[in-house]
Amino acid sequence: MNCLEFRRLLLIDPQPDDMPFRQHASDCARCAEVQQRAIRFESSLRAALAVTVPPQLAEAILLKQATEQQRSRQRLRRGGALLALAAGVVLAFGIGLRLQAKPLSELAVAHLQHEAFILTQTRPIAEDQVRKAFANLSVRVGALPAGISFVACCPVGRYSSVHVLMPQSNGPVTVLYLTDDQHEARGDFVRDGWLGRSVPLAHGTLVLLAHDAAAFDQIEAQWRTALQSAT
Amino acid sequence: MSAKQTQFDALVRSLSGDLFRYGYWLCGDEALAHDLVQETFLRAWRALDHLRDTGAAKAWLITILRREHARLYERKRPQFADVDEVDVVDERDAHTPEFAGEENVIRNAIRQLDAKYREPLLLQVLGGFSCEEIARELAITPAAVMTQVFRARQKLKIMLGGDDVREAKIHELP
Repeated sequence: MNCLEFRRLLLIDPQPDDMPFRQHASDCARCAEVQQRAIRFESSLRAALAVTVPPQLAEAILLKQATEQQRSRQRLRRGGALLALAAGVVLAFGIGLRLQAKPLSELAVAHLQHEAFILTQTRPIAEDQVRKAFANLSVRVGALPAGISFVACCPVGRYSSVHVLMPQSNGPVTVLYLTDDQHEARGDFVRDGWLGRSVPLAHGTLVLLAHDAAAFDQIEAQWRTALQSAT
Repeated sequence: MSAKQTQFDALVRSLSGDLFRYGYWLCGDEALAHDLVQETFLRAWRALDHLRDTGAAKAWLITILRREHARLYERKRPQFADVDEVDVVDERDAHTPEFAGEENVIRNAIRQLDAKYREPLLLQVLGGFSCEEIARELAITPAAVMTQVFRARQKLKIMLGGDDVREAKIHELP
């Protein structure tokens, strides 16, 4: 390989996995110097191309996918509930498949543990952020409780939800509002060391999770006001 | 969580950033790139059963994204289509360090590259693909890819000025 061939190859790939190329770089000091410049240029090019990725892009995609799945399930339910049921029974008998939906309490606790860092957020956020998160999932809210320190739209299992954190004197309370589906009757539960409550509310289900349930009644009442006054 | 959902989650978490950057340079608009990536993954979810080799996932997603972008191009003309009309002399003023940092200077230069040069360069530098892989993706020959990435770097160096200009010019391809 001569100098011209080497320098042309540099513009195609500054660090090719090519033996004659490497040999020339070690034999020719001038070309080796040019290669170092080309590598520096490549590094600047890579940095320039690496534009900032929007925060929570992955979460937004997963939420959209979960929402789409939920919608197609609802369409399926409306369009052919009986047919789907019959097909499901046949399938279950046919291949011995046992479908068992995870309980809401399990999904909620798994989600909270997956995003455990959120529990460290203590500084109150702007009310607008909370309203925007609910609006993203087409949920209208009235007067919001004070002291919310985190909000995001999150997929919880197969459901879309608004995930809220409300710090209290005896520890934070996580609030998940699962939209578009009233899952279960109101009730309290204990799972993996967490105390929980699920409440059918407006068009969805409110789930509260904490290590201390002392504030549950008050927080439930606040969200009942927020969600029912707007519908 | 089903195996399919687990696989999809892993794909989204590991590759959405790379796809966003690629989409951004393809369409030139952050919001549009966000939508492109989202639509790409939704299509990928519906077709996930067709993905046999997880090592090929990135190339597979890039293919879907490029098709999505082509559909978008049919509906709306992206910004980069207009770069030929930009007054190059005026633009070069904006490349000086007084107006912008080094990254912005390079970004402006990349925006001015013709799409046929920019896209193989993106696949090589951002995607980490070889010339053969890029050739398959763009349905051109590996030699054409080598020529285009050569010209892309050459044009960038000329636009950016500095010591590399002379070299970029004298090592012109035959």
